[in-house]
Amino acid sequence: MAPSVLYHCPCLSTSSIPPPPHLPSSSYSFHPLYTLFFCEECDAVRCNRCVSVEVSGYYCPNCLFEVPSASVRAEKNRCARNCFMCPNCRNTLSVVPSDPPDSGDGRLSAPISTVGEPPFFLYCNHCRWDSSEVGITFEKPTGLAAQLQKLEDSSPDSLEYERLKEHFEPIIRASSLSSSSSAAPSTSHSHHHSNPITAAASAALARDIPGVAKYTPHARSGRHSGKDRSANKDEMPEYKSRLNISNASVYGSGGGDVDVEFMRRLEDVSEVASLEQRWNYSWSTSLETRDLKPLRIPLHSKRSKRCPACTHILIKPEQKAQSVRYKIKLVAANYLPAITVALPHQVEMLGHISAEAAKRSGKAPVEDDKDARDNLQAGKTYPFHMALTNPLYDPIQVRLSVQRVHVAATVTGEGGTIEKARRPPFAISIPTTPFSIAPFAEAWEYEDDEEMFGLDDDELEARLSGREKETKSKSKTVGVLEKRANVTVVGGEVALGKEARGEVKFNMLVAYTYRSDDPAPSEGHDVSPSKKAETKTFAFYTVVDLGNIIPKEKSRVDPYDV
Amino acid sequence: MAPIRDKFTIHSKAVVCQDVELKGDITIGSGTIVHPKATIFAVAGPIVIGAGCIIEESAIIVNRRKEVMRIGDDNLFEIGCRIEAPSIGSFNTFSTRSRVHHTVRIASFCVIGAGCVLAPADDETLSDYTVVYGPSAERRTWTGKGKVQEADLRRKHAEYLREMLPKFNRLRRGDGA
Repeated sequence: MAPSVLYHCPCLSTSSIPPPPHLPSSSYSFHPLYTLFFCEECDAVRCNRCVSVEVSGYYCPNCLFEVPSASVRAEKNRCARNCFMCPNCRNTLSVVPSDPPDSGDGRLSAPISTVGEPPFFLYCNHCRWDSSEVGITFEKPTGLAAQLQKLEDSSPDSLEYERLKEHFEPIIRASSLSSSSSAAPSTSHSHHHSNPITAAASAALARDIPGVAKYTPHARSGRHSGKDRSANKDEMPEYKSRLNISNASVYGSGGGDVDVEFMRRLEDVSEVASLEQRWNYSWSTSLETRDLKPLRIPLHSKRSKRCPACTHILIKPEQKAQSVRYKIKLVAANYLPAITVALPHQVEMLGHISAEAAKRSGKAPVEDDKDARDNLQAGKTYPFHMALTNPLYDPIQVRLSVQRVHVAATVTGEGGTIEKARRPPFAISIPTTPFSIAPFAEAWEYEDDEEMFGLDDDELEARLSGREKETKSKSKTVGVLEKRANVTVVGGEVALGKEARGEVKFNMLVAYTYRSDDPAPSEGHDVSPSKKAETKTFAFYTVVDLGNIIPKEKSRVDPYDV
Repeated sequence: MAPIRDKFTIHSKAVVCQDVELKGDITIGSGTIVHPKATIFAVAGPIVIGAGCIIEESAIIVNRRKEVMRIGDDNLFEIGCRIEAPSIGSFNTFSTRSRVHHTVRIASFCVIGAGCVLAPADDETLSDYTVVYGPSAERRTWTGKGKVQEADLRRKHAEYLREMLPKFNRLRRGDGA
């Protein structure tokens, strides 16, 4: 397991302190940086679990046609054009003409016309399934959906569904009329708003404005609706289905005696339709593979995400189905510094092993080496490097601090053997002084060391003195190790106790300060809030995972090492 | 091990590019096209390739058995495939990066899907019209519908290549060692 850094999202909880990292249940609140969003209004990190998602458009993944939301319901979430899915391998089907008739003399003749000959059928290029196996052929190569529509509508499941809808519709209409009129005016959440925009709007309308009388449109009908509701709450006309349910399986809807007969005759497991082949269907279908019919391709949706607190849009994709870009893209990677952690001894060993493996004609590295390389040995002290990348166009000052965790060591009965619950005792030392990271800029704007020409004397002096400082700091392992472009590498050390076991994980608080209005770069001096530009500080928690600890003896394999 | 003696018998109508690695006793039939960077190694036994085959770039055809490896007519060996089957019929398609081991004998009109690895432990013969597809190399039988159109397409493909390849690549003329 390579060392990693995950970011903590408080997910609207009141305390911003993350849970202790060694508990398996706390992994829910730590996410990799590329999955997180950042809300500028609330100045907070949002993760995929706390954002509210809404659909921004529907499209067919095959023909990339954007379907307006009105037609989505009409077409039952499937593509209305000629897009079909192979029931066997879920690939897209293409419409092909049949072979030209055999001329009889054994030679394969060329096709007569470019369009091809009827009957046309659907053909899968991947598994070579074609729809003539289930008996579906077409006379024309276009307008297939319409041709299939009649077939689909006459299936017994579909007719049953229509009947159910007709039966329940008047009841639903009556009950919804009575329920909506009795809703309390103070809580607008009882209105079922599918669109958060209208939800936000109605919340704004229902807000208390001092001086304006409260608008209560439902006070008059309140009494009258109560009577209505109690009347028809329990009464509903009985529903009579079209078919007797015990006979339904005969018509291909699965279940019942038909399946039992099929199982008795079963010879090869490939005759049974697999789950992946069956679950895309609207109704339950028969179990046999040869009964699978081509499906219209289900539509996909493009989603936009909003901040749950202030309902500002965080992610908004473009309207066109083909484009993968976003109109609004407030991702955390554009605001928070990206942190990667590496153990230098692992990087070295990896280099050695890959060089050896290349010589040994690509054999996999030996397992022993892997163990020693990937895991940390108890009792040793390891330096680790953290590289922080600044995504902003302004320089930032970063301060790191390790969160103190309560060590609740629970020792179980077996004395000498490994106890899973014991917390590995280790000590982390990281630089706690604030250090700066240069702003992000295009590659050619960075001052390269080779380019000494055309620079002023002052800049040259500053560069030289900067380099001297860097060479001095390289000799120690804890502290700022390197600054290049917009990346700063800091080194820390982890000292493992002799009896340490488990994973080395610690929470780290990263606080960074940036000047939002000042364009001049800072030189790493202490931040003075009395400057004219305003400085903002943002802090977030991360968990740094350095890997597992293995005991000193290499021969023994840790039981819970994955 | 006896040194491999190169003996290439290439039909005059075949199109074999200069950059092809040939080793051993190889016979290439009329109208067959071998793209540059293909590899045909008749390491232990000879290889006989039929007429109208198309062997694309980075395809590797190896014969490590002493018996003759016979490849039929109008087969398509797509980019990156690796074939060691001892006998192959006609009109087969070996898709990109597929691998066929020497334990499998392939009949005609088969399709080995892209990336499929056909490596059974015991000897096996794929019957006509078998389609192998998917990452776990599932199989099914093709009804053969559309084979006339596909055969026609294959021939047109070969014709086009026969016309275009010599314009842009140097050709190797068939001769002995």
